[in-house]
Amino acid sequence: MKRAVPFEIFRYAAIFAALAVTLIPILWMMSMAFKPIGEWSATGAELTWWPKEPTLANFRFIFGESSSDLIVALDRTALKPILSSLLSASLGTIIAMSAGTAAAYGLSRFGAGQNLPLALTQLRLFPPMAVMIPVMIMWAFLNFTDSWWGLALIYGIVTLPFAFWLMKTFFDDMPREIEEAGLVEGCSRWRVFTRITLPMMRAPLASAALFVFILNWSDYLIALLLTTREWVTIPVYMASLSSSMTGQLYGAKAALGLIAAVPPVIMGIAIQRHLVRGLTFGALKQ
Amino acid sequence: MSAIHLQGLSKKFGDFTALKTMDLDIADGEFMALLGPSGCGKTTTMNMIAGMEEPTQGRILFGECDMAQVPMGRRGVGFVFQNYAIFTHMTVRQNLAYGPRMHGASRPEIDRRVGAIAELLQLTPLLDRKAERLSVNILQRVAIGRSAILEPAIFLLDEPLSNVDAAFRAVMRTELKHLQRQFRQTMVYVTHDQLEAMTMADRITVMDHGVLQQVGSPIEVYNNPANVFVARFIGSPGMNLLPGRPAESDRGMVIDLGPVGLTPLLPAKLAQRLRGHGGDVLFGFRPEQATIAHEGRGMKAPVTFVERIGARIIVHLGQSESAMKVVLDNDARVSLGASAIITPHMESARLFDRASGAAIGQGA
Amino acid sequence: MTMAVASENEMSAPAPKSSAPAQDERARLGFRLTLPAQILVLFISAFPLLMQAYISLTDWSPLSGTNWWNAWEMWNTFANYTDLAMDGRFWSALWRTLVVMLVCVPVEFLLGLALATLFADDFPGKKLFYSILLMPMMVVPAVAGYMFFMLFQSGGPVNDVLSGLLGFPVAIAWLSDPKLALAAVMIADIWQWTPLMFLILLAGLVGVPQDQIKAATLLGANAWQRFVTIVVPKMKTIIIIALAIRVIENFKIFDTLYIMTGGGPGVATETISVYIYKVTTQDLIWGYVAAIALAILVVLSVAAVLAMKRMAANREAAA
Repeated sequence: MKRAVPFEIFRYAAIFAALAVTLIPILWMMSMAFKPIGEWSATGAELTWWPKEPTLANFRFIFGESSSDLIVALDRTALKPILSSLLSASLGTIIAMSAGTAAAYGLSRFGAGQNLPLALTQLRLFPPMAVMIPVMIMWAFLNFTDSWWGLALIYGIVTLPFAFWLMKTFFDDMPREIEEAGLVEGCSRWRVFTRITLPMMRAPLASAALFVFILNWSDYLIALLLTTREWVTIPVYMASLSSSMTGQLYGAKAALGLIAAVPPVIMGIAIQRHLVRGLTFGALKQ
Repeated sequence: MSAIHLQGLSKKFGDFTALKTMDLDIADGEFMALLGPSGCGKTTTMNMIAGMEEPTQGRILFGECDMAQVPMGRRGVGFVFQNYAIFTHMTVRQNLAYGPRMHGASRPEIDRRVGAIAELLQLTPLLDRKAERLSVNILQRVAIGRSAILEPAIFLLDEPLSNVDAAFRAVMRTELKHLQRQFRQTMVYVTHDQLEAMTMADRITVMDHGVLQQVGSPIEVYNNPANVFVARFIGSPGMNLLPGRPAESDRGMVIDLGPVGLTPLLPAKLAQRLRGHGGDVLFGFRPEQATIAHEGRGMKAPVTFVERIGARIIVHLGQSESAMKVVLDNDARVSLGASAIITPHMESARLFDRASGAAIGQGA
Repeated sequence: MTMAVASENEMSAPAPKSSAPAQDERARLGFRLTLPAQILVLFISAFPLLMQAYISLTDWSPLSGTNWWNAWEMWNTFANYTDLAMDGRFWSALWRTLVVMLVCVPVEFLLGLALATLFADDFPGKKLFYSILLMPMMVVPAVAGYMFFMLFQSGGPVNDVLSGLLGFPVAIAWLSDPKLALAAVMIADIWQWTPLMFLILLAGLVGVPQDQIKAATLLGANAWQRFVTIVVPKMKTIIIIALAIRVIENFKIFDTLYIMTGGGPGVATETISVYIYKVTTQDLIWGYVAAIALAILVVLSVAAVLAMKRMAANREAAA
């Protein structure tokens, strides 16, 4: 079907408007990350859209180099929060993926755990804020507060529904003939799972893991409640980047924000194909 | 008004030519089948008639009117899709009412027309059923009714029977033909199944690789294929085609088929056409129009295989270029491996130019 | 794209019948495989819920000097719940949460649907534009909150653009004006989550059978009529899913909002999550927090069960 020219013009105009709205906030933060303090323009100073004198000073600052412009020195660098985010999100992903993959396989092939789909969907429904009191008490009791492994455990539980549903739809879609061939050759079902199914599912597993990792990496609220100092994650640390003398450390925050934002965006684009499946709990596949 | 004229019509998708320059006139009220193997350009042709594709070149006229500027919704064309494209989220009634509704007909008018068409197609008891889980023959009737309710002058059907299992197809064929008689509209019917084309169409347009091969009534296309493609494609099995050279015998003209031997004497008409030709030919005869004997003189070939298909047997004879098939009654006695004498019915035999594949002296 | 709305009986794959020992092996392995997930679910649901219910009946606070299991010493029966019923700040936070939801979700839906419609067929640049338009939903919400915090500063780009458009200097204090702060927070949410609607609705849109759309065109339907009579009804389930996801997620709204405004100025942008957070970390009356949390969980559970029943009934009616 041929579309009329006016429609094409309208389409591109609308899309470019959407692209501008999408990109401006991101580009503004990027530009801010490379601006020297004189261009931060909290008050009074003229607003610059693009850094006139691009500098890496903001990045150096958050990694510990003292800055004469900023007067302040950080009592700790961004290094440990980045490490904390990485460790907790990674271990959380491993927990969610291990339990989720195993359960998804158990349900998909053996019909075990019939209660899980509903239970896990409910788990997603509730605001984390509404279950945090017992979690905080339990974590304090287990001595998990302010540790990356404590965060990882709760991350693993919170993202378990996503891991489970993603893997379940992948297993449901997988042809069974190969597994059956393995069974005929005398492999045990466990062996079929570990030696045939999992290696075959490498790509879906990787996609699901990236998806879960992005979710874990994106958390703010849980880390805000469960970490206090030693193992705060990037977003929590970011909020602390201000001082009574200079107010908000715009450039430094932007630099850190950029570091936090880039990996999930790249990963997200890499697993674009599976986003719908993951977000709708497999109700919709693309 | 509802005659269709295709003039110099062609369609390219990028580098791929789906349809080479095609001229075709379909008469008012005619049932025309577009027949050919998949990828022959028949569906493309029909999509252009419907307005779903734009021709790369050429014109489409309905009667006197050029359709180039008329969008698909306004051509007054009824279209039945291969899978019927029934609106599954609606009831049968809503499906039937869709066209009039979109054309802004009044409520009582819609009810009246839906009632009438449902009566005609025997859909009345099903009107309030969801279209989702109806059987194919009902779906087909709904699809036809949904288009017919707008009283289009032209009906286009895209392989409407290809999703139906074989047993049911005969029933549906009869039903379709019956419906066409009722509506008396110009119908263009796309199919790859020659049986459908043969049984239902007034005329058949045979196509291959985007090129029109032959237009004619079913019997013409069967009896006088215009070229080798049509000869092989029509009939099941298709026409036997054996390479040979014209030769004079003492009593008249024959074809020397090399290892197979000489054909019987050519009938006068065929011989006459051949005189003006000269050079290598293909000798064609229908498998149904030949007999086999165990002794005697004439075309000789070993029996390589015998296929039993119930009432008939198909005897495969000869090898490679001079392989041929003969269809006999199932009580015929044929022994595998033995030499057989094949006697084609010479009045229905045909000759083709070996180089071009065109029939020699077409038009008798 | 295929749609597979799982219904109860589709949840399990039909198992081929086999001999008893094989059945045993299957059952055992199935049990073992699902065990870790079951433990995690139980660990986060059963015990915490009981604990929460228990604490919610007391005045316990982490500062009260006793362990939580001794909270009975501060037993107050249903005082927390009666307090909650009369807690104006709670009800206004709940109301605000609903206002944010009632504005954001429809706007996100309509924008997402409009964008999806533009992306329904092929055109040059489609893939690139698609990837770019999905980016906001992958940005860490806290970082997105910071982006919009910067954008809405009175000397920030939003005012700069407005100045340029209007021709006179604009210096709106977006985040310190109670009404504008709520608007700013909603804009940030719309920026971040319209892509999710776009993504899901586009997946639904391309799944609408093309030949039915062509059939409608041939029957004389114009673009708008096709959209209303064919496209929307075919996408009904997907639209419900997309709206449900956003309603659920939007109800939890915290990260972006808290970083932009901290719930302020005053309580102008205080939503349920922010309110609970503040009571948890500032007032530290955990007995009361437990009561709020439990009340929300109960209400949400009932709502969810009702919604699911309704959907199941619809499905049955359609069958």
